[in-house]
Amino acid sequence: MRRVTKVYKGNVYALEDVTVDIERGEFAFLVGPSGSGKSTFIKLLIKEEEPTGGQIYIADTNINQMRKWKVPYLRRKIGCVFQDFKLLPHKTVYQNVAYAMEVTGKSHRLAEQQVPEVLKLVGLGHKLDSFPDELSGGEQQRVAIARAFINRPPILLADEPTGNVDPSLADGVVRLLEKINDSGTTVIMATHDKEIVNTFRKRVIAMENGRIIRDQDRGVYGE
Amino acid sequence: MNKVTYFLSETWVSLRKNLILAVAAIAVVAVSLGILGLVVMGWNMFSNMIKNAERKVGEVDVYLNDLATQEEIAAIEAFLVSIPEVDPTKVVFKDKDTALQEFKERFKDQPELWQYIQENPLPNSFEVMTKDPKDVGKVVGEIQNNAPYPERIEDIKSASSAIEKLENIFDKFRQIGIIGVIALAIIAVLLVSVTIQVAIFARRKEIGIMKLVGATNWFIRWPFIMEGVLEGLVGAVVAILAALAVKVWILDKLIENLEFLRLSLSPGLLPVLVPCMLIGGIVIGALGSAYALGRFLEV
Repeated sequence: MRRVTKVYKGNVYALEDVTVDIERGEFAFLVGPSGSGKSTFIKLLIKEEEPTGGQIYIADTNINQMRKWKVPYLRRKIGCVFQDFKLLPHKTVYQNVAYAMEVTGKSHRLAEQQVPEVLKLVGLGHKLDSFPDELSGGEQQRVAIARAFINRPPILLADEPTGNVDPSLADGVVRLLEKINDSGTTVIMATHDKEIVNTFRKRVIAMENGRIIRDQDRGVYGE
Repeated sequence: MNKVTYFLSETWVSLRKNLILAVAAIAVVAVSLGILGLVVMGWNMFSNMIKNAERKVGEVDVYLNDLATQEEIAAIEAFLVSIPEVDPTKVVFKDKDTALQEFKERFKDQPELWQYIQENPLPNSFEVMTKDPKDVGKVVGEIQNNAPYPERIEDIKSASSAIEKLENIFDKFRQIGIIGVIALAIIAVLLVSVTIQVAIFARRKEIGIMKLVGATNWFIRWPFIMEGVLEGLVGAVVAILAALAVKVWILDKLIENLEFLRLSLSPGLLPVLVPCMLIGGIVIGALGSAYALGRFLEV
């Protein structure tokens, strides 16, 4: 990200002159209070929002100039996990994950093979046929992570993934992200959960009022 | 194959969810296409009737005014006989007196119509028969343009001029019908688009998730387009069934019972009309969904 600025309507500066490099295979926490620009950061990466100024590169490709029809292919390379899970309530756990494969045109047979595998990886191999509202927050987030990971994206973005998860289970969610990171996927996780950041000791990019105020390896949440 | 079944099942689920709106859209599609079918069939029947009538009547009457002299009348007669399309043995001069006599004969039950006539108001005239009834128009034109002493010719009447007037009236009906069909088709497009908008709204969360996991725009659009096309198609089928019912139970009966009008439907009409109505339904559905997608699906 090079000198990226994002201005929302009404002159609200969500990001101001942000420059940061995140290397392949890294695990980075994006920390800061609400409204510091973490979510905007993530939305810019999946082109849900366009930057007002500056350039964003993903794998050496400038995504500012990316044509509209290519955006879906960008998003297939970036798994996303959100605070509110974004699961489809009328689909089962299996269907929710398989959906991400169907949408990209993969065959049912491939889904039948891979979905249970990935769900086993996130520890939900026994709940294929449950519906999201039968699961706990932590379990739902695991489903969302499974969906984000099913297409083996090189990058995984997580926006407050532990926000709606019971604190005792939050660790497990992050550990899962760590496991995914170990397989080579770059993970960027936005959070304001101090304890988690301090426990896991990863790179910490701290934001405040749309600016990066601190960037350190194996860092902690803040003073 | 996999994708097609996916799209079909999505379409079906969505249609079931807003059934009432879908039924309304289908009904309007059916009504607009049904009226189109009726207008076309009605028009076809009428124009066949006219063609049959024209084929029968090859008579042209040429009315002269009273200033025409014997020589002028003779010259006009010679001209009429010389027209190649006219049967020269059937050019009959009817003078005023004969005409009045015929008139009295025809209305002998209503003597008040002619009793008090002082002066004979009826003109001299020629009754001309064409060799072939379809040349009536040609002969009328020939007389209008090339007859000697055109100032002596008061009027030219043929069966086809009466038919022409009728044709004009029916043309108006056809125009009104076509305008009505177009207006209804536009309403149908808008209604289909409303159902698609509702479907998009109902699934906005799902659409967001689809985008998130990298579904292409067309992948998201297809189920909605198919929903619109399906509505148009079902409407067209209903319209076709209705039109066929009208044909079998009403038009065919009319043709049978009003034999003297020589009504008929061209045998080649339905094989053209039915596919046209189907295509019309598909086009209405596709336009409706395209409109809704253009306005309400930011992808």
